[in-house]
Amino acid sequence: MQTQLRQALNHLFTLSCGASVVLLVAALLLFLIPMLKKGAVAVLFRGTVEFRKMQAEQFDRGNEEALQKEIEQTAQSRQEIYAILDQFSRGIDTEKLTDEVKGLYRDYGDELRYKDTPKEQYTKLRSQAKIIRNHLLDAFESIDKTEINEYLDAVKVFEKGNSFSGTTVEKMFAVADGFQKTIQHVDLSRRGEYAEELSVVKEELYNLFGPRPEEKTPQLAMRRFGATRWDVAQKHLSFLLWQEKWVRSDDGQSMVSRKVRRDDPQYGSFSGTSLLPLFTLVEETLDISLKPRFTFYWQYFIDDSTPGHYFGGVGPEVLGTLMLTMLAMCFAVGPGVLSAAYLVEYAGDNLIVKIIRICINTLAGVPSIVYGLFGMAFFVTYVTRHPGILSAAMTLALLVLPVIIRASEEAIRAVPQTYREAAMGLGAGKFRSFITVTLPAAGPGILTGIILSLGRAAGETAPILFAGAAALAPIPDFGGKWWLQETRALSYGCYDITVGDKLAMMVPHKQFGMVMTLVMLVLCLNIVAIFVRSRMSKKLRGA
Amino acid sequence: MELTPIRKRAALQPGKIRLNSPPSAAAEETPCTQKTIIGARDFTFYYGSKAGVENITMDIEVGSVTAIIGPSGCGKSTFLRSINRMNDLIPQTRTEGLLSVGGQDVYDKSTNLVNLRQQVGMVFQRPNPFAKSIYDNITYGPKLQGIRSKAKLNALVEKCLKDAALWDEVKDDLHKSALALSGGQQQRLCIARTLATKPRVVLMDEPCSALDPLATARIEDLIEELKGTYTIVIVTHNMQQAARVSKRTAFFCLGKLIEYGQTDKLFTNPQEKSTEDYITGRFG
Amino acid sequence: MTESLLQRDKNDAAVEFSRPLRLSVTEDLRGFLAEKIGHATLFSITFLSVLAVMAIFYFVIQESVPFIFKGSFGESIGRLTEFLTRTGWYPQSHDNPEYGALSIIVGSLYVTLGALVVAVPVGVLAAVFLSDIAPFSLRQICKPIIEILAAIPSVAYGVFAVMIVAPWMQNTLGFTTGTNALNASLILSIMALPTIISVAEDALSAVGREVREASYGLGATRAETMLKVVIPASHSGIVAAIILGMMRAIGETMVVWMASGNASRIPSPWWDLSQSVRTLTATIAGELGEVPKNTDHFHVLFMIALLLLLFTFGLNMVSEFFMARFKKKSRGL
Ligand SMILES: Nc1ncnc2c1ncn2[C@@H]1O[C@H](COP(=O)(O)OP(=O)(O)O)[C@@H](O)[C@H]1O
Ligand SMILES: [Mg+2]
Repeated sequence: MQTQLRQALNHLFTLSCGASVVLLVAALLLFLIPMLKKGAVAVLFRGTVEFRKMQAEQFDRGNEEALQKEIEQTAQSRQEIYAILDQFSRGIDTEKLTDEVKGLYRDYGDELRYKDTPKEQYTKLRSQAKIIRNHLLDAFESIDKTEINEYLDAVKVFEKGNSFSGTTVEKMFAVADGFQKTIQHVDLSRRGEYAEELSVVKEELYNLFGPRPEEKTPQLAMRRFGATRWDVAQKHLSFLLWQEKWVRSDDGQSMVSRKVRRDDPQYGSFSGTSLLPLFTLVEETLDISLKPRFTFYWQYFIDDSTPGHYFGGVGPEVLGTLMLTMLAMCFAVGPGVLSAAYLVEYAGDNLIVKIIRICINTLAGVPSIVYGLFGMAFFVTYVTRHPGILSAAMTLALLVLPVIIRASEEAIRAVPQTYREAAMGLGAGKFRSFITVTLPAAGPGILTGIILSLGRAAGETAPILFAGAAALAPIPDFGGKWWLQETRALSYGCYDITVGDKLAMMVPHKQFGMVMTLVMLVLCLNIVAIFVRSRMSKKLRGA
Repeated sequence: MELTPIRKRAALQPGKIRLNSPPSAAAEETPCTQKTIIGARDFTFYYGSKAGVENITMDIEVGSVTAIIGPSGCGKSTFLRSINRMNDLIPQTRTEGLLSVGGQDVYDKSTNLVNLRQQVGMVFQRPNPFAKSIYDNITYGPKLQGIRSKAKLNALVEKCLKDAALWDEVKDDLHKSALALSGGQQQRLCIARTLATKPRVVLMDEPCSALDPLATARIEDLIEELKGTYTIVIVTHNMQQAARVSKRTAFFCLGKLIEYGQTDKLFTNPQEKSTEDYITGRFG
Repeated sequence: MTESLLQRDKNDAAVEFSRPLRLSVTEDLRGFLAEKIGHATLFSITFLSVLAVMAIFYFVIQESVPFIFKGSFGESIGRLTEFLTRTGWYPQSHDNPEYGALSIIVGSLYVTLGALVVAVPVGVLAAVFLSDIAPFSLRQICKPIIEILAAIPSVAYGVFAVMIVAPWMQNTLGFTTGTNALNASLILSIMALPTIISVAEDALSAVGREVREASYGLGATRAETMLKVVIPASHSGIVAAIILGMMRAIGETMVVWMASGNASRIPSPWWDLSQSVRTLTATIAGELGEVPKNTDHFHVLFMIALLLLLFTFGLNMVSEFFMARFKKKSRGL
């Protein structure tokens, strides 16, 4: 009985030990899988014609002719959609109509003056036009269909008079006509609601297709193109189609919030209006008007980005990270390896060496943010006098110095003493035997340490916060003093794009894309290190 | 006690066990030149406060093979490694007395360590080739001496490998890693590597202890061939080996030199009790 | 006697040594200088680390001193006590700034201890698994996994906390905010785990096989052997592992800055980890970018850094002590 209990406890113990490791692996997978999966979407996705347009305009990339052809092909189906939209908005967007009619009236005045109309005829026509205008404006104001028809009929009287044929006023008649047609299907009492919904529809169409061909190019880069990616297009399509609405619940007792289609015959906002066909049309022709195609956007890793990372890639961040880490290694590797050499080959076991060791361990334990402070208070203030690449790299170098020292020390210590004996026995001095025998033998180990600390330097954010990293720094100008310029970096970019940048919140694939780039970089470095290490142990075995 | 059969054979018929070994009788019979190359007077070596060897006084003759035997931990390696100052690698050591090589007090400040170690080469207990190619292993020493000419180096490699009886086995893959060789080959490579620096004295610290009997026989042959040209001091656990290859033998025990003399005399007629105990296998 | 011996050997060996065994004066001088210069150079390079540590302490102290030592001695003490014992942190207030860091200190302790509560048992058990239970091949797989876990940049963990864990906590667990002490603690525990595991595993492996065999030989099960013999025998190494993990957690910046919510108050009730807290590191990271130099606010941030530095330095000393003890023990002294 007692032994059974002990056995059971033993199994429990083994199980919980195993469970801990499983937990560990699960944590890694739980982290890696979503991060990499969501990040991969930044590179592998279905790109639409808008994406190719963006690539052509922003990065001068792709086949001009093929793109033009594609744009023409898509233009047709888009045009149909716009036609329906315009037709409907004429009835709803009275403000716009009012502006239009006012404009036409003004134009007509100019036209009359331009044609040198005799004074009295001018006054007459002008006052008639004014009456037409006022009728129209009244019609726009009103929500009573019969009243509107009265106003519009009054306008039609002038049309028959023929005195306006061939002038701008004809356009007013056209507006009146269109308006009359539209209001047949429109519940005018809900005009306010329509206008609101219509603005949503318009915005979503903009998000899908970008500015209309006749519009002038917007200032903001993010407003210049529609949905560049099929998944984004799908999202906007659903925003376009579906709305949240308070509807009476099935038992008719209470109101519940429910998602309904905008063209739902019963609940949809646009039920029974002339806009109705638009929704199914957009839905059915979306792939014709966007032409999604599978895209491997590898240039993501080298492209510059538009503000907020709305379009483009992480090129400047990658460049910045590479510069920072390489420069940091330039500063740290020499002293690191030499310190290790001193500690192994020369240092005895005296007090000063003990102090040095304690200091190296302390250095390794200093919180990274304190390195950041030190970088600001010393490197920036006294060495470079300007936060920039150089000061940031120096701070990082200090951070990885203890890592390199420890790794190199371990590697050098692992070189068998017989190697040194053999070299000395052949007449090599201490220095010679270190350079020609010990160092090559320790090389892979040291290299592994350097690669790992490269990953560490690439991933650290806190030390460079105040020493030279900036979210919107320009790409360094290599003609000038580039080392004094601030730079973007992947690590800082990851922070900024997820927490700092409001614009970036709209493009989660870009947020994850940046993190994925950083994680992949570090993972690759680690895998290389593991590989080097396994090669090393093989070599030492003489294979 | 009666001589054990092994001892009889070893002591009385040196070289008999080996097949096709060159007759060594002639060399053995040449009169002793009595020229010394290494001399120790009351030499003591301390590891910290503990003595590794104490008050050693002995002379080693030019061009001869001298064997050092003794139980484990008696200071054979310590003494051998002192001769070319290999013990410098160990921290906190010091010496007393005198150890001279070619008239130079090796523990004096004025010793040219590079020249000393190149001319007093060493072969270690375990083969320790560098993790480099065979070629690079051998040219390591000559390159240190400043020999850069490819032709000279090539010739040297060939000569040394031939001297070490390794040429035929490796001549086709000189640029392969030395670590891929077998243990015996590695040890012969180490000997070749030592010969490449043109030493006058070769110190061997149990060169065969990590090898199988066949490889051991080859190394012994090699020593046979090298003697005369080089002064050889060899530490060995194997008394037959000492008897076979050496002209003189020193017996160390507990850090002291107990007995030193002609090999055949020491084995057949030891003066000291502990020597006899050791060679008859009563201890050690 | 010496002279005569040397002379004799010299004559005997005259033909033997073609290269002189004695150094010429110039060689001697050259060798001496090379040795000294080489040694001095290497030493000074190595000494850089010491200088770096001293410089870090110097600059942090230099910038934090003006915060405390201003006015009379009594005032200085007052400011220090306010800093350490009050919870009001309103450094930006124009008329009446308050610099009470207690809630921030407590916040740091919260997330650190929270992380350890998870990381220590999991880490030690995983170390036991790797050192005593896993077969060799499995260990070969687990090692790289732990290395990768250690190598993932903290900012990436931060993004994970904000973009994946926080929404999950808010939507699934129904917390009022997704960025809170629990979130930060969980992520920190993942980050502290690799350190704890690798150091603890070293400690466990250093306990010799004989000890285990002795215990098994007396009929103990594996659990009993580990819990009653091996873990007690390696306890100083394991304590060192825990302290190193703790240092990693307390010094971590990006994760806590992004995931802890940054509210400078002590959670109430005290056990409610679902509330936001703010840590020392996050305070520096969040505020230093915006304060003008040489203001009280600027100096108080360095004061926080000094506090952190002292914390980690102290922990480092303690871990060094345990490491030394552990090493001594495993050498059998
Ligand atoms: N590196 C060392 N440090 C301290 N003592 C040593 C060292 N090497 C050898 N010794 C001691 O010196 C004595 C002689 O050792 P060694 O010369 O290696 O013996 P042998 O080679 O005859 O077996 C031994 O008692 C050993 O304990
Ligand atoms: Mg020995």
